Amino acid sequence: MFNRHITHRYFAALMVAPLLVVTACSGDDDATDDTAAPAPSVDVDESTPVDTVDVVQTTSGSSAPGPRVSIVASVPPTDHGWLGQIAAKAQEAADQWDDVDFRLLEAADADSQAAQIQTVINERPDALVVLPYDGAQLTPIAEAAMEAGIPVINVDRLFDTPEAARATILGDNYQIGAKAAAYVAERLDCSGDVVEIQGIAGISVTDDRSQGFADTLDALCGNGISIVAQQPADFRPDLGLQVMEAILQANTSIDAVYTHDDDMAEGVVAAIENAGREGEMFLTGAGGSCTAFDHIADGGLYGATYLYSPTMAGSAVNMARLIAQGRGFADLFEPEVPSLIVVPPTQVTQDNVADLRSLCFD
Amino acid sequence: MMDVNGSNEPIGDPAGGVGTRRFALPSGTKLQEYTLVGVIVALIVVGAILKPDTFPTTANFRAILTQSSVVGVLAIGMTLVIATAGIDLSVGSVVAAAGIAGGLVYETGAAVFVLAALGFGLLLGGVNAAAIAYGKVVPFVATLAMLAIGRGLALQMSDKKPISLLGADGIRWFGTGKVLGQPVSVVIFVVVTIAGWLTLNRTAFGRHVVSVGGNREAARIAGVPVRRTIFTVYCLSGLLAGVATVLLCGRLASASPVSGQLLELDAIGATVIGGTSLAGGRATITGTFMGVIVFGLIFNLLTQLNLATEWQQIVKGVIILAAVLVQRPERI
Repeated sequence: MFNRHITHRYFAALMVAPLLVVTACSGDDDATDDTAAPAPSVDVDESTPVDTVDVVQTTSGSSAPGPRVSIVASVPPTDHGWLGQIAAKAQEAADQWDDVDFRLLEAADADSQAAQIQTVINERPDALVVLPYDGAQLTPIAEAAMEAGIPVINVDRLFDTPEAARATILGDNYQIGAKAAAYVAERLDCSGDVVEIQGIAGISVTDDRSQGFADTLDALCGNGISIVAQQPADFRPDLGLQVMEAILQANTSIDAVYTHDDDMAEGVVAAIENAGREGEMFLTGAGGSCTAFDHIADGGLYGATYLYSPTMAGSAVNMARLIAQGRGFADLFEPEVPSLIVVPPTQVTQDNVADLRSLCFD
Repeated sequence: MMDVNGSNEPIGDPAGGVGTRRFALPSGTKLQEYTLVGVIVALIVVGAILKPDTFPTTANFRAILTQSSVVGVLAIGMTLVIATAGIDLSVGSVVAAAGIAGGLVYETGAAVFVLAALGFGLLLGGVNAAAIAYGKVVPFVATLAMLAIGRGLALQMSDKKPISLLGADGIRWFGTGKVLGQPVSVVIFVVVTIAGWLTLNRTAFGRHVVSVGGNREAARIAGVPVRRTIFTVYCLSGLLAGVATVLLCGRLASASPVSGQLLELDAIGATVIGGTSLAGGRATITGTFMGVIVFGLIFNLLTQLNLATEWQQIVKGVIILAAVLVQRPERI
């Protein structure tokens, strides 16, 4: 009977549905966080901070024109604010140089990014900037580019092997957690109840941001501050809202909320305000969205955020230019561009929000 | 409220293939509704024992209903769709796109926001409807395509950025305001549920929906306007996605292009555990309502217990599987 066929077909369909949906959404999912980045291979302990280069200053020091070079940048689909800004910052950086021919390529997935880079290798540009869709999957093709003599500058999501990149610039997720914990510990005087709203469960960005927070809170306050609730909301505002609504019901007293992402924090803020409990607690974000900057400037609920700035893509283009021209940073004594730059997550509070305004992103 | 079906044999099913087991067992729908009532009671009892201070409170039940309202409104539309032996995978994306459509014009007033959201939801639902009813595209494929299109439109129209509605008190009223002492979104959810129940059980259209899902050929022969019926249910599903986005954006104080991902699975799951048959021809709004409440209770309870979300996924999945097993009285 027709009816029965339908039955079987739809049962089969239901089984497949989550798979297809996940596939169809994976572009978003990946980009929903401002990050989806693998952990830095170098553990940056807060007691021994890595010296980082102030890229803005350095570029102005290295701005003397050099030989003409061609640079290609390859990035994942820019369907999220942060990735969109990655593309924009790379383009902006390239536009300021008269001696750079620049091309930006956007790939839909890891496979097409690999194919794209393969084509680029044959064109033999002087340098290649890559924010890989997935570090592991694109390691072989990056190695191939390096073997062909094209220096690769790796942005944010690490390749698996050191042979895959000439230089690397990335953010520091562990330090976001560590700095937020220090901020919370100070404001609460090491006593109170804290809620943590996490990103996508099971990815290194979330793990690092969470671990940094827990370790530092423990080191600074011992048992003084307890994390009373800890739930993922996948970097999404609507889930942040829903999760926080339930947590607010469950906890009659909350002193602070640590969130892993500014966009997601918007939902958390709405939940707290809808419940009329904004006077009871404060929260911190991460990423550096302009909306978060606005909240911080206004004062009140939103205490601080931590930059995970897409400007690193611009810095990567500047590094690519100097590497291709065989120069180093003018402000460093070494003749070559350093091979690893870890960008610290600058803390943004009401004190410095006006000064850092130009670094926020929509 | 009672179920539709159980006793409501698909109209004009000449084969009567499901008749024999009826004498041995309570109908799948009935059995499932009793089971659901049991599940709801059990969840409340467990919650009251484990979280006596914060779970069994009026404020918390109100919060659960408020949270359930978005999926709830979608699930009512989904019930009608599934009753026709269809499926609508696009509702989550349509929620996002309709929210952005409203967000683009929100400054002209809350009424314009609502009209734009409902209108855009209806439009995208209408595209599904036309493709399925007249283009003869399989519902799964047509709405899967719309899942991608809707999400793409949401991202494109918003320039990939959320639209803040912080200053728009009229819109936020739908998420945070009260009517007769109850949250507006809960009132809307209940009104939509009652309207859905009346539509399914007390109108000719409702009978057409069930008969189209039960046996399309027989329905056609019996004079049921099959295409128009199918067209209408997908339009309604799109329209209700517009309603859902108003409730969501009101609470969120923003329209986000990444909102609503996987909402379709919650809506389908709630419908299925309610007792509506994925094969079509059997639908119950009461069951769907309870299914939505079960999901809401699970989310609230497990979050209150601070259990990791993987447990929520496991519990939800097990309940869906169990529900489908209870529902499976027909021969294989």
